[in-house]
Amino acid sequence: MRALVKNGIGVFSPQGFLDGNNVGAFLSIEDIEATAKLNVDMVLVSLKKVVFFNRNGLDIFVKMFTKVRAEKHITVGFCDYDEKKFKAINNFYKNDTNFSLFATQEIAALFSSSFKNQNKNVLLYSEDKSQRSAMAIELHDSGHNPIITQTEEEFEKKKSVENAYDIVIENSYLGQTGNNVATRVTGNAIIYTVSSFLDTEIGNMFNIAYHNNSLNVGFRLFIFDAYKVISMNVHALNFFSRLASSAAEYNATICFVGMTFEKTPIAFKETLEDSGIMFYDQMDDILGNKELLAELGASSADSGSNRRVINKVMVTELPRFIDATVATIEMMTNATAIKEAAQVHEIQIENHEDKIASSIGFYGDIDGMVMLIFPKDIAKKACQLLIGEETNDLEMILDTLAELVNIVGGKIKTLLADQHISVDITLPRTYPGNKGRAES
Amino acid sequence: MITNEKINHFIDKIPPAPKALQATIMLLNSGELVKAAQIAETDLALKAYLKNIVNKPIYGFRNEVSEISQIFGILGVSSSQQTVYNYMMTLLSPDKWILFNLKATSFHELQAKLSRRWKQILEHLNIDDIEMESAITLLPASIIVSEALFSDKKADVDLLRSVNNLDLNTILNRLCGLDLFDICEKISQKWDMPPKIAQIVQASSGIKPASDEELDKLGKWMHLLLFYELSQPMFIEAGLNDFIEFQIDYVGDIYDDFATLMEIA
Repeated sequence: MRALVKNGIGVFSPQGFLDGNNVGAFLSIEDIEATAKLNVDMVLVSLKKVVFFNRNGLDIFVKMFTKVRAEKHITVGFCDYDEKKFKAINNFYKNDTNFSLFATQEIAALFSSSFKNQNKNVLLYSEDKSQRSAMAIELHDSGHNPIITQTEEEFEKKKSVENAYDIVIENSYLGQTGNNVATRVTGNAIIYTVSSFLDTEIGNMFNIAYHNNSLNVGFRLFIFDAYKVISMNVHALNFFSRLASSAAEYNATICFVGMTFEKTPIAFKETLEDSGIMFYDQMDDILGNKELLAELGASSADSGSNRRVINKVMVTELPRFIDATVATIEMMTNATAIKEAAQVHEIQIENHEDKIASSIGFYGDIDGMVMLIFPKDIAKKACQLLIGEETNDLEMILDTLAELVNIVGGKIKTLLADQHISVDITLPRTYPGNKGRAES
Repeated sequence: MITNEKINHFIDKIPPAPKALQATIMLLNSGELVKAAQIAETDLALKAYLKNIVNKPIYGFRNEVSEISQIFGILGVSSSQQTVYNYMMTLLSPDKWILFNLKATSFHELQAKLSRRWKQILEHLNIDDIEMESAITLLPASIIVSEALFSDKKADVDLLRSVNNLDLNTILNRLCGLDLFDICEKISQKWDMPPKIAQIVQASSGIKPASDEELDKLGKWMHLLLFYELSQPMFIEAGLNDFIEFQIDYVGDIYDDFATLMEIA
């Protein structure tokens, strides 16, 4: 079974009945490991379409969860269930729940490292006091505003107020969470969130493959949000020094924001500065300063000395990129797409307001980025199969366009593999018409 | 990916029910078991199918049953007609399955299991109706139609489903405006199956409740039964578990009754 991966969460969705006899047919450890390799920080099994499960069935999932979490440091568990199923799981495992339970995927996304939206007002209740605290801390760390209720009565009362909260958390349980370094993309900068004590474990928690891929596809500014770092030891110091050296090869910049040196030797700061790492007090010192952003390389995702050029290999393979795109558009619309002349020129987009775009990077034997730029109406038509209904919701259209470019990326990967050219693809990005301009 | 032309071509290619089968069903309908058996004997493929299917463990016969008259006699009118309809469906199934990891034997196994459990359900619901019993035979046609339409698009389907959790029924409906169960209905019309059969199978899709309360209830039982069987390891491994979407809310009010009947602990 394949997982659907979105926002850093891989979700498996079995249907029907789960017991000790059939779970192995639904899901194997290889399926979970293949999903974990996609840089997810959560692997969940959705119980939304499961009408029956028993302890034997869940035990097999839990065994696989335990193995993968130990190896990959990711959060594992179940999601999409009602109160009855939640009680059944709690009854099975009582005080031995070492996985997480999220009533919905929306709740799970709040605890994912790859969170997209912050500042959600989250109403929170759990019978278990320590759970309430643990969830509140995690939510706060992820940039949300948790409102904790101490009693069920208080919770029900607050929950009944319409539109008071963005998300309500109940019937959820935070097991051992993944301890990966949280990652998010803001504009053309990548922000990693680190906290508490930075020691040798940083090497396991930091996703170096993701970082290298980001460098490969053109990101040049990496910011470590270090407000919550208490101290750093020499192992972490060496790790960051090495990271800075490799970034220098790409002319990329690494910054630390909010790092204090009360419990860390000040000499460490000097060492890190010597290796090229810059320090800022506030995140806004960087993100709010356009000139500084340009100087640090974040005004352009492909700026710098390693800027990619169209070369012979790329031009030779260009028809395959076009074929993949044409085939995907035809598949999604049942319409005939006509290939016109292929030309190489700089991107110049007129009438930004009417256009939206999505892109996906590829790296390996050849590197580059595929970008699809659509007039909004055509984008809606191209996404109709995936959305299934008429919509003017720009966020939904952009999300779907990301899925579309993901399919194009997958097709390109297959077509290139047929030519013995091996590439991997990155996560897709989207560009709404009036901001995040595609030329940048 | 899939066009209405492709669907029409598929429907046009469906052969009419062979005369021997039509005659067998007609005779079974009028309770003429002996005459029906005599006609059935002339179709060697039907004979082999009947022998193979009734000797599966799910039918629970201690000794091998080999004569058609014996088979019809043991099964009775309703189940005999059901089994002949099951055979008709196999005439549509491909020589080689590509989209689903199935073989003729595993498809027959699914047919047999669905048929026996369906009979059990109808007995539980105190329904004694030859058409109702035959309704289950049309359900696997949805699998055959999926295979026929999507088998040469497997890579596209896999790619599409890697980014969006769409089932085959939804993909087809969004692309062409009709779904797998609409095509099943067209098959039943082509084969002159009673309209009630198509109505129950349409309801069993889980997304098109029947206006008739009784037929809708049977649609719910059939939908749940389908996923009960598609949760068996051999059918999960065949890739059948998610070919359509399980509508868990649709079956909510009959689940407890179903679980008791199937002895699900």
